[in-house]
Amino acid sequence: MNTIDLKAWYIAKKNVKEKLKNYGTMFWTVAFPIMMLIVYKLAFTEDGTTMINGLTVFDVEFPGIVVYTIGISTVSSAVMFSMSKKDGTLEFIDAMPVSRGNVFLGAVISETIFMNLQLILLFGFGYGVLGAHFELAMMPIGYLIAMIYGVASIGLGLIIASFLNSPEGANGIAMLTHMSLMFVSGSFFPLDNAGVFFTPQYWVKQVYLQLTVVGDSFSDLLYSGTIITPTSEATFFPIWGGILMILAFTATFIILGVKIFQKKTTL
Amino acid sequence: MFLTKIGLQEKFIQINFIINMNKSITKEVQVIYSDPIQFNENKYSTEFIIEVQDLKKWFNGIKAVDGISLKVRKGEVFSLLGPNGAGKSTTIRMLTTVLKPTNGDARIKDYSLIKEKNKIKPLIGVCPQENVVFEALTAEDNVEFVGRMHGMDPADIKKRTKTLLEKMNIAGLKKPAKSFSGGMKRRLNLVMSLIHQPQILFLDEPSAGLDPQARRLVWDFIKDLKKTGMTIILTTHDMVEADVLSDHIAIMDFGKIIASGTLEELKRSSHNGNILEFSFSSREELIQAKNKLKQIDKVKKITEIENNKLIISFTGGVNTFKREILREVELFKTLHFREDSLEDIFLKLTGRGLRN
Repeated sequence: MNTIDLKAWYIAKKNVKEKLKNYGTMFWTVAFPIMMLIVYKLAFTEDGTTMINGLTVFDVEFPGIVVYTIGISTVSSAVMFSMSKKDGTLEFIDAMPVSRGNVFLGAVISETIFMNLQLILLFGFGYGVLGAHFELAMMPIGYLIAMIYGVASIGLGLIIASFLNSPEGANGIAMLTHMSLMFVSGSFFPLDNAGVFFTPQYWVKQVYLQLTVVGDSFSDLLYSGTIITPTSEATFFPIWGGILMILAFTATFIILGVKIFQKKTTL
Repeated sequence: MFLTKIGLQEKFIQINFIINMNKSITKEVQVIYSDPIQFNENKYSTEFIIEVQDLKKWFNGIKAVDGISLKVRKGEVFSLLGPNGAGKSTTIRMLTTVLKPTNGDARIKDYSLIKEKNKIKPLIGVCPQENVVFEALTAEDNVEFVGRMHGMDPADIKKRTKTLLEKMNIAGLKKPAKSFSGGMKRRLNLVMSLIHQPQILFLDEPSAGLDPQARRLVWDFIKDLKKTGMTIILTTHDMVEADVLSDHIAIMDFGKIIASGTLEELKRSSHNGNILEFSFSSREELIQAKNKLKQIDKVKKITEIENNKLIISFTGGVNTFKREILREVELFKTLHFREDSLEDIFLKLTGRGLRN
């Protein structure tokens, strides 16, 4: 892949410009997270029966919405990379003095910019307007965890794009993958099943839940398991274990994504 | 060094045609390089900016490019002419570093294609066969992006973008490129390939899909570029384009270069004699005429092309034409007598038309 330099930034700038002019993508980026929050808020009304440890279902499900929204990067990166294969822009860039490392980093930067936008909207609207429970001190760590998971999602999208030349196909497969993982991980509705441990979404949601819902005892969380979901009373993993799992998933997806994409597109 | 060994020694084209039972013509071609040093010696620098040796690209056993060797002088327009699927674009994709050769190597301005492709990339500009533009961006944004990728200074990019877009009649458009016509996208692509002032420009079917006016604009632009000393490699299946623009033409078919030289050299080497093109109202009339023409000794070659047309080459000039050919072939729709063209040369070499 050779060197990574300032060209990654120009690639990111180009990607951002392209995305801003694609209104369909912007809907998924901006309007959809807000819509999801409203739907969840309305679906899980505070009628007393839904209260768990003094929290509403909306409070507990809020991290799931964050996981879902940020995970959409799987779809957008799969579409972006498969589109670049189909329309010839990847090959066009390959003929220029630009390394693939710059191309990948450019994509990560541009997607990260949109993830930030999504998170600001989610946090602002979810906590600010709809009143989801959170611990302000834990917010920066929660934000960072969500961003790391976003990079993992880009890696997963890259793996999917490696095998598909059509953006439509990539969109379908990436969405199917994302939704399947969301259900399997118990991010939408909590599951007591060993399968959840094999999804990054589970770990993100658990860590995030601890930070936002029970973040007032952070030092305890760091070193011991604690109450995290409505159905699982406790986890055996301290918070740093969860963070390590998220980092491991992110590194694996990115490394695999880059390797497979390189192999499949180096002619 | 391999550069000195490239097949320039064999000056004569040796082509054996085998006419099969169905009377269609297949080919068995050997060689094919005329020594370019003999021609245009004063017109160009003697420096070869591209030297290709035995370049091959196989896709799952299919020989897309099957061991081509060629040399391109600095400052010349070199055309790869051939039908679709001949291997022209694959050759260009290898020379522009995006496709790894199965075998062989090329030197582009002293750099090995295999070992030093990163040093080649800044020297070249590429205009691919399909229009490759970033659809959501404006023309200026597209060009600026390419300039940035080549590490250009923003002020230089701006200045040069304006000049080039004006030359191509697409300046000042604030709409995204997706709203451009095919011709406008083609011209934008050309500007994108030129923004960094490459020493070598690769144009894959530069005027494909353009209307006559836009095509002329592109041709004039390429001629202007040539005056600046830029080396231009273009692929085309358009005989007129090759004829109008090229200093040197290499004819490709089935992954091989089957003939190469200046247009004059190619014509001289084809020795087709006089050319007659008959068109008939029906295939029956064509077969009838074809059978009669075969009986005439002075008719050297008969080739059937699309739309019930026959192309024949013969010796003996007007006398043969009047006394023998016209006497035998009575039923024809049109008759066209002409000089040898690139198409005739191609037909002679391959036994089929460029668009077949």
